[in-house]
Amino acid sequence: MPSGSRTTAPALTVSDLHFRWSADQPSLSFPDIRLAAGEHLFIHGPSGSGKSTFLSLLAGMLSPESGTIHMLGNDIHKARAGDRDRFRADHIGVIFQQFNLVPYLTAETNVTLPCRLSDSRRDATHPNPMAEAHRLLTALTIPEDHWHRKVTELSIGQQQRVAAARALIGSPELVLADEPTSALDTDNRDRFLDLLLTLAEERNTSVLFVSHDRTLAPHFHHQIELDGGVR
Amino acid sequence: MKAALALSLARASLWHRRKVLALVCLTLTLSVTLLLGIQYLRTEVKQSFTNTISDTDLIIGARSGQLNLLLYTVFHIGNATNNIRWSTFKQLEQDERIDWLIPISLGDSYKGYRVVATDERMLTHFRYGQGHALAMAEGQWFDGVFDVVAGASVAKSLNHRIGDHIVLSHGGGRTSFSNHDQTPFTVTGILEPTGTPVDQAVYISLDGMEAMHIGWSSGVAIPGRTLTPEQAEERTFTPDAITAAFAGLDRKILTFRVQRQINESTAEPLSAILPGVALSELWRLMGQFERALLGITGFVVITSLIGLVAVLLTLQAQRAHEIAVLRAIGASPALIAALYVIECVLLALVASALALVLGAGVILALSPWLLAEYGLYIPLRPLDHTEWLMLAAVPAAALLVALLPALSTWRQSRSLGLGDTGEK
Repeated sequence: MPSGSRTTAPALTVSDLHFRWSADQPSLSFPDIRLAAGEHLFIHGPSGSGKSTFLSLLAGMLSPESGTIHMLGNDIHKARAGDRDRFRADHIGVIFQQFNLVPYLTAETNVTLPCRLSDSRRDATHPNPMAEAHRLLTALTIPEDHWHRKVTELSIGQQQRVAAARALIGSPELVLADEPTSALDTDNRDRFLDLLLTLAEERNTSVLFVSHDRTLAPHFHHQIELDGGVR
Repeated sequence: MKAALALSLARASLWHRRKVLALVCLTLTLSVTLLLGIQYLRTEVKQSFTNTISDTDLIIGARSGQLNLLLYTVFHIGNATNNIRWSTFKQLEQDERIDWLIPISLGDSYKGYRVVATDERMLTHFRYGQGHALAMAEGQWFDGVFDVVAGASVAKSLNHRIGDHIVLSHGGGRTSFSNHDQTPFTVTGILEPTGTPVDQAVYISLDGMEAMHIGWSSGVAIPGRTLTPEQAEERTFTPDAITAAFAGLDRKILTFRVQRQINESTAEPLSAILPGVALSELWRLMGQFERALLGITGFVVITSLIGLVAVLLTLQAQRAHEIAVLRAIGASPALIAALYVIECVLLALVASALALVLGAGVILALSPWLLAEYGLYIPLRPLDHTEWLMLAAVPAAALLVALLPALSTWRQSRSLGLGDTGEK
């Protein structure tokens, strides 16, 4: 059982979480989490272990059957759907396995998108979202001549790094990463992970990283196991 | 909801899909052009129709129904039931309530076009459209007995020039077997196009009409008794009868009284009709045709809307990933639904604007040709109230049909999980 044992208020607390897709399906149960701000958590789960469902619950896009999720002191499932969307825009960055980007926007407009949806993330950029986006893209080694290109012209590795920049812009408290490295080769995977975690630490952003690949676990402060959770 | 963000995303999305959407936009543009074009044409044809004759207060002919009289005097369709005696016409000329009279005498034809025998009063008093007088495009109004003035369409389609000699035919019809070979006419003038049946006739003097019929009996020329042009020039002619007359009154308020008096005339059975009334009765008869056009217009609208919905639904299937991404970074379902609506309305606005340009271009390009070939005058004018409403209905309808995919996306994206595309 991982626990954020530092003195700071926990970024995320999950307790006694259960979810059911429909009344005739078995209830899924998820492990308790207590994660301090800025700490990274590796969640190991083979496919079918309910990883996506778990992340959907954390992101506030699905509602649990029972249990609570406290994020930055808020019980997110007490809030209305519209408020949960706003909370996600303000405090959470998301990276998927693939298809992370809006295909008709350039790399840099994809990165600044969260700042257009959330005033607090826009205000957290210095001096403005575009400068911050350029700084992140540079740090994530995206060549400058790719910034203004359509994202569909970028390689998969570059697309994932652009997605990381978008998740990190405006310093959200939490980044949810759903197998973001599974489409990458080993070199790209390690580089991606290094960059993501380093940049997250600079921003005091916690990363929740879900993967089936246990070899990645040592990069993280804590790790937990998703076991399918059917009780 | 972030309106500025939705607008800029919608614009980028439309631009991204421009190759597919260009075709849809073209379809929509063409159907809106058709819709608007049909409405425009309806208005113009009606306008053109009611403008066939103006400022004429009464048309006077032998006793018959008003439609028949209107058709054979103005539209050159059908035949007169009887003639008016020349003496009766002279009496009408004495009537001081009548300002002017134009005598017309019909019955002959030239290669399928009517021959109208009249005099210079046709040129001075006849009006069409918004009070336009006839004007010569080339040459002069007829002066001699065997001079002829050609209407614009006649001159154009038969390629006539000033000085051409033409032979008129006895009776109507395109291929008449009895021609006035002995008395050829010389083209002295060609009229400006009017977009009315005036273009579809040739004009000779009443004297000419008399002269070419001398020596004719029962529709055949009796050899040796017809006139040579030289003999004709030396004679003077008095017509026995004319077919009809257009009349203009000094005081319009007397129109009904004069009409009644003529209709009740005991000297000769006459009919006087009000051209405006007869024209609107004729247009009502043709209302069936107008309603059919309206029906077609309706189907055009429905077709284009179905096309629009089909494309929107196709796009929706392609956009699952993009929507999952937008939802994940915190876009509300309402914002995503708004994207659909904005894109659809923008598309409709572009199509409407293109349709305006295309429509104006087509009218500009075809207008001279329509006038020359069909005598149909379709000028370019600003859209009227109804047409603007029709055009505005296109983006409004687009907004309505966009609600269909917008609502289904809105509902779906409320229940999907993180990164879920709903494709499982």
